[in-house]
Amino acid sequence: MTSNHGNLETVGGRQPDGGRRSFIRKAGAALSVVAASAAAGFSRTSAPNEGSDQLDLLKRRVGNLEDAENVRRLHRAYESSLDRGRYEEVVSLFADDAEVVYGGSLFRGSEEVQRLYCNQFAAGRTGKKIEPAPGFEPDPSDLEPVVEVAADRRTASGRFPFSMQVGEPMAGDSSLVALARLHGEGIVRRWERGSCTLSCVKTDAGWKIRRLEYHTTLKADYRPGHVRV
Amino acid sequence: MMNIPMHRFKYTRLSKDQVTQKLAATAAGPKSASPLSGALAGKSLKIVTDGGPVLNYTFKSANRLTLAEGSASAVEAAYGALELQQMVFFSHMVPGTLKGFNVFVDLKSQLVTVFEVWFAGGKDPSGQELDDREVQRQIWFGYVDVAGKKAPEKRHHFTNRLEGTGMYWKQDTGIETIDLYPSIVSSNFIEVTRHADDLSYCSPSDYILVNDNLVIYDRTECEFSGTMTLYLIDLFTETQVGMRLGFNEKDELEYYMYRGKGKVVGQLTSLAPFDEHGKSVNLTMGGAPAKGAKSAPAGPPPKGQRTVYRPGRTFKNMTPEEVQRAAEKSTVTFTGDPNAPQQQAGMMGGHLLPFSELLIGKKFTLRYDNEGPGWEYEVLDIYNLQWRKEGTGSWQKETYRAFEADEKLVFFGHIVTGSNPVACRRIALDLTNGLTTAILSQMGTEYYGNEVSYRAVFGAAEMAGINAPRYVRHCFTDELVGRGFTRTYSDQMTSMHLYTTAHSSSWTIYTANQTLGMQWCAPAIYVKLRDGVYIFNLVEEACNGAETCIIENEKTRRAIGFGFSGGERGVSFGLIGAISRDLGGYDIQHYLDLKAKGV
Repeated sequence: MTSNHGNLETVGGRQPDGGRRSFIRKAGAALSVVAASAAAGFSRTSAPNEGSDQLDLLKRRVGNLEDAENVRRLHRAYESSLDRGRYEEVVSLFADDAEVVYGGSLFRGSEEVQRLYCNQFAAGRTGKKIEPAPGFEPDPSDLEPVVEVAADRRTASGRFPFSMQVGEPMAGDSSLVALARLHGEGIVRRWERGSCTLSCVKTDAGWKIRRLEYHTTLKADYRPGHVRV
Repeated sequence: MMNIPMHRFKYTRLSKDQVTQKLAATAAGPKSASPLSGALAGKSLKIVTDGGPVLNYTFKSANRLTLAEGSASAVEAAYGALELQQMVFFSHMVPGTLKGFNVFVDLKSQLVTVFEVWFAGGKDPSGQELDDREVQRQIWFGYVDVAGKKAPEKRHHFTNRLEGTGMYWKQDTGIETIDLYPSIVSSNFIEVTRHADDLSYCSPSDYILVNDNLVIYDRTECEFSGTMTLYLIDLFTETQVGMRLGFNEKDELEYYMYRGKGKVVGQLTSLAPFDEHGKSVNLTMGGAPAKGAKSAPAGPPPKGQRTVYRPGRTFKNMTPEEVQRAAEKSTVTFTGDPNAPQQQAGMMGGHLLPFSELLIGKKFTLRYDNEGPGWEYEVLDIYNLQWRKEGTGSWQKETYRAFEADEKLVFFGHIVTGSNPVACRRIALDLTNGLTTAILSQMGTEYYGNEVSYRAVFGAAEMAGINAPRYVRHCFTDELVGRGFTRTYSDQMTSMHLYTTAHSSSWTIYTANQTLGMQWCAPAIYVKLRDGVYIFNLVEEACNGAETCIIENEKTRRAIGFGFSGGERGVSFGLIGAISRDLGGYDIQHYLDLKAKGV
């Protein structure tokens, strides 16, 4: 993603990041900005070649926006499946050679990614998206996702804020725990907040996650009474 | 009268063929000591259930019916019926099969609740093999279809209205039970007349509301005989009509209907939200998915599904040698940094008391009655002491922990280093009068190696400044019988503990919204130390074999003490600390005295 980008375009009025990447914020706003600037460009130019270049540029920009939206959709699908405990669906969103960094461990390849979500997340009921812990509400600016699409439109990356309920099965062979687990509990819960970075790759089956990494910035005790369902 | 406790009784693993043979006797219909009802004789009922069978009944007489399930051919069977208020309850098995139907018909509303029952259930949804003798059940809600009349919209439904209630019952058979309903999916029962011991047991149960005073209840003695008890309660008149189906400890078929007269004996306070009415049972059945398991399929749960705790099958029993070898590898005492005990005490010790300094520097001799042990102790500091058998020369050093469970009443415990099997002592020592009780425990029972055995010994201390009595002693007590308390061990774990008899106790887990859910039970002892201060000692027999030995202080509503357990990971001697809430209780002790058993 870093060495084979070629030319990159700035979309949405933001400055390029070191001249190599374009960041896309909210798709709707970005689209309208693109459309406005394209119209302005046409009204200002007169040479025939310039018109053709502008059209190419516009096509690339629209393509970038579509890709960015698809990456956001991919992330939404990931969060939604995680939230609903559909861990098999989560795994299907990853590329075969994907990597996940979670809890300080690296899970590499389909088998290990499957193990992380279908065994560890499932056992701990991890992944329930919840409101930020009371008293630990994030700065609104931290909540904005950021997506970057490479100029060749084969790869993309994104950073998405997360706030989720993390559960770990209670340890020990106490009958209290055994009974609690029979009705789906026996889990020690906590809140975690931070950002999730994604590296994505466009495949024949659409965009897939190649690398996912959680950066936890906050952990807090769980208080069931404060959860808004 | 059964004098081997149910949790120790080895019920025969009856085969499907044996069950089939024994069920042949049901062709005559259920027996009944009370006259059966003829209310249905000559009538026909078409019962339509939601998502279940359509049952076309024709009642040829007071004890013969024909049943056609859906469009299938009709079969003839013997049945019995009993009436209670506007309800008719009838029961029959289906000849040539292992199944039967128990039907509650509400003549006023035309609503019907059907308990389809069967034997030889195969495997439960989690893959657990079920005993063929265990009665399975599926509850169908429906109505009597009347030609030309619109189907009613309402149904009988699950309820939490009985959660916390307890009742004493006497059947027309003379059998007496105390049935406690502290959960929405389980219940406690005490066989007052059938069992020699006053022990309580837990069974998966269902509670169905007919109206404000009529509730249908069932329990199945899973892990034991597999027998089902099913009855309709009228809370207005404290009467019941019921049915019992299964094979007793002699493997004899029990299939009878009965009437009973009862009494509400008390109520435990529910901590569930006020807008929780229990119309659906919102448990995640089966717990967290097994390794590699896929998400639960959408749709209704599998037929017959119920949440059952089966500790006898899930816990690994070890030999004494295996436990000793595990103990040699790891015997964990008071885990973690002693300066941060609360943090390290984990789930069961989030509410410990501070360690007591009351014994530091003290020297004393503890003598226990009836040729019990005599030990000399010297307490070196807040974590260390040494002891020796009275009159012997060498001291043995131990790490200990002590709590002040009540004013100048110290509860301390330590493991006995070098013991084989691994042993420990928990000693209550009253520094105001010198009375002492020790709970002496060790790994292993006659049943398996990782089950703790224990005994209580009573005595007095000889120490400076104390003149201990010669006759007065702490003693066993029944003062707590019927009482229910929460125990919050940590913010992640609260359970409800019900002191069901003077010799047993049950524990129940709260669901996420503080409705009471799964429960289990075990024999226990209770020792009175002072007014409102008791030792409670319980071993999870025929389960994980772990021991809880705590002092309960009713005044401070604190439970403090020690846990002792062994398994493949080794032996653990840990700390327990909990805060509690008093939930009320049941007035039942008078049903349990010796007279009640005709002694």
